[in-house]
Amino acid sequence: MAKRTVIPFGPQHPVLPEPIHLDLVIEDETVVEAIPSIGFIHRGLEKLVEKNEWPEMVYVIERVCGICSFGHGWGYCKSVEGNLGVTVPLRAEYLRTIWHELGRIHSHLLWLGLLADAFGFESLFMHSWRLREKVLDMFEETTGGRVIFSVCKVGGVRKDVSDEKLAEISAELNGMIPELKELTDVFIEDMSVKNRLTGVGVLSKEEVTELCAVGPVARASGVASDVRLDGHGAYAELGFEPCVEQDGDSMARCKVRIKELFQSIELIEKAAKSIPEGDIDVKVKGNPSGEFVGRMEQPRGEAYYYSKGNGSKFLERIRVRTPTNANIPALVKMLQGCDLADVPVLVLTIDPCISCTER
Amino acid sequence: MAERKDLIQDIQPVEASELLGAVADAKTAGYRLGQACATKVDGGIEVLYSLEKDEVLKNLKVSLGDNDPELQSISGIYWAAFIYENEMHDLFGITFKNLALDFGGHFFKIASETPWNPVNKRSGAADSAADGGGEVASSVAGEGDGGDGDGREKIVNLEKNDKETPAKADEKGGEE
Amino acid sequence: MGSLKIGKMIMRSLGRKPATLMYPVIPREWKERTRGHISIDMGTCILCGICGKKCPTDAITVDRDAKTWSIKRMQCIQCSCCVEVCPKKCLVNEATYTTPAVYKIVDTFEKPDNPEADSAGGSLKCDDTCVFCGICAKKCPQAAITVVREDKKWEVDDDKCTRCGLCIEGCPKKSLKIE
Repeated sequence: MAKRTVIPFGPQHPVLPEPIHLDLVIEDETVVEAIPSIGFIHRGLEKLVEKNEWPEMVYVIERVCGICSFGHGWGYCKSVEGNLGVTVPLRAEYLRTIWHELGRIHSHLLWLGLLADAFGFESLFMHSWRLREKVLDMFEETTGGRVIFSVCKVGGVRKDVSDEKLAEISAELNGMIPELKELTDVFIEDMSVKNRLTGVGVLSKEEVTELCAVGPVARASGVASDVRLDGHGAYAELGFEPCVEQDGDSMARCKVRIKELFQSIELIEKAAKSIPEGDIDVKVKGNPSGEFVGRMEQPRGEAYYYSKGNGSKFLERIRVRTPTNANIPALVKMLQGCDLADVPVLVLTIDPCISCTER
Repeated sequence: MAERKDLIQDIQPVEASELLGAVADAKTAGYRLGQACATKVDGGIEVLYSLEKDEVLKNLKVSLGDNDPELQSISGIYWAAFIYENEMHDLFGITFKNLALDFGGHFFKIASETPWNPVNKRSGAADSAADGGGEVASSVAGEGDGGDGDGREKIVNLEKNDKETPAKADEKGGEE
Repeated sequence: MGSLKIGKMIMRSLGRKPATLMYPVIPREWKERTRGHISIDMGTCILCGICGKKCPTDAITVDRDAKTWSIKRMQCIQCSCCVEVCPKKCLVNEATYTTPAVYKIVDTFEKPDNPEADSAGGSLKCDDTCVFCGICAKKCPQAAITVVREDKKWEVDDDKCTRCGLCIEGCPKKSLKIE
């Protein structure tokens, strides 16, 4: 009879960007069951609605996560704007889209670096993050911050970016494409990387639909779902198709993120060329009352922003459901039956952002 | 010019007894579970379930009272709902019946019981989780892992030790 | 060779200088819009207190009697809300970051004595178009205006008034001015 042991994985582990605890029940080096447990980074941010008025709450919500920070700011503003019935001018939507896509580029480059670090390829990790620095510099030139931007507000955006600056950003990104191609070719074609990623952690299309997984995890198994198809921001005008792969293993998830990286560069170029003139914000009167459920496509998947107001200066509830929260059941399922040595790579392929999960 | 599907809001109130029926109908129609969350309002708790299909959302809202709120779990229909229901149990104190993967109050490591719903403090929750070994990591619906006694007891012992050590972390409920 | 596809990138970086900067030995080039810390021009400040009310983290304290403006450096999140609402535009978001320290830094600035400038400001006056709606009283950061609708009474406490101009902006009938 095979003996079972329980090995704790996390909360401190070299491969995890944020703390999550998994109890792995293993039988002779094969994982039989994985039991997650979270709460190490729970800050109770949603409860701060009782103390901060709704215009100031955006600064709290964008600090939920440092990697997908702009998306959270935009999601909150979108939800409260829906509550108030405010329409944001088109130039502000374009600017928000450009910043959001820049956020996607830097998040995917960060993830590629972490993936390389997970299987020990240090120099690839360093080169990915070196290229990411250029994107962070672009953020600093336009918004003033490298990680937290404080540029989104209910009713529009706070800072304008001139058309020449946008053209410069687009040109710089296009100039980075040859180097990015060299980098991503290593992920797709290098023999040692292929051995670690192909055929590992396979999720079929039916399993993904049953487990309600979101983001690149779902798109890598053939499910073409992407929140950007519902026409918010400037995506309807820019034209957009989700990137889909069919294999469902870790290599497919890696390929989906790489394709999205290049797609974001194209979207920014299109937006910079066709951005209209106009105001960047709209005056907002009154207090939110009623409910609104809004969605955003973060780099990790679909995020929900539910806000409920009661007519006073303080909101009654703001709920952020982040993509990693929805991918944990998929992770639990993926880990059943895998090798112990593959666990770090599998945990990383869902792109865990635990500070988002626990807020 | 594509229409703005994200502005379509559809929130329907549902009775607690009809919830399972409504969710099962949605699943047959091809909806996917989006999220489930709870809001504390005066005199009770409101639970909102969001289901999504083709970029359009359908939301079902259930209102519960303050005293020992209870609800039938939908993890029989959507297994992934266990994440949201365990979180609601730990933070608000809502009991879910027939939860597929029940952590017995230990999913979220927090310092005090049900911090977002202080009215409903469940002082007996810690003891009942340690006693009832079958509750923790019970077998997943339809996916019998055929577990034997050794693995389960070990986990229960771990949880029991966790609860006995004094809580060192400060209150994370934003009470600065 | 099927492996070491990254060889070309590595060879290139051997020839270049390092991508990292020896900061803080070599100072950093700050960008124009970097949000580093808040600085104030105390000569122009009228101690109205609007920045203190607007600050989301309550990092700014304005003491009108002691004539000081102080900021808790570690609590400030550099959101620039204070910079936007200041009526005299005396706050600026500078590009350098606050120096790290092992204690919480609180910077206090005193307003220089300038009795001429204080009394040359004039006083707030309200004319006959006033409808006693009370918006000016709600907006005043120093609670200097009193409006009683039933008695048709409008009065201002001249000592408390800082001449910030918020009431003038908010009046729907444009009945207020400083002269």
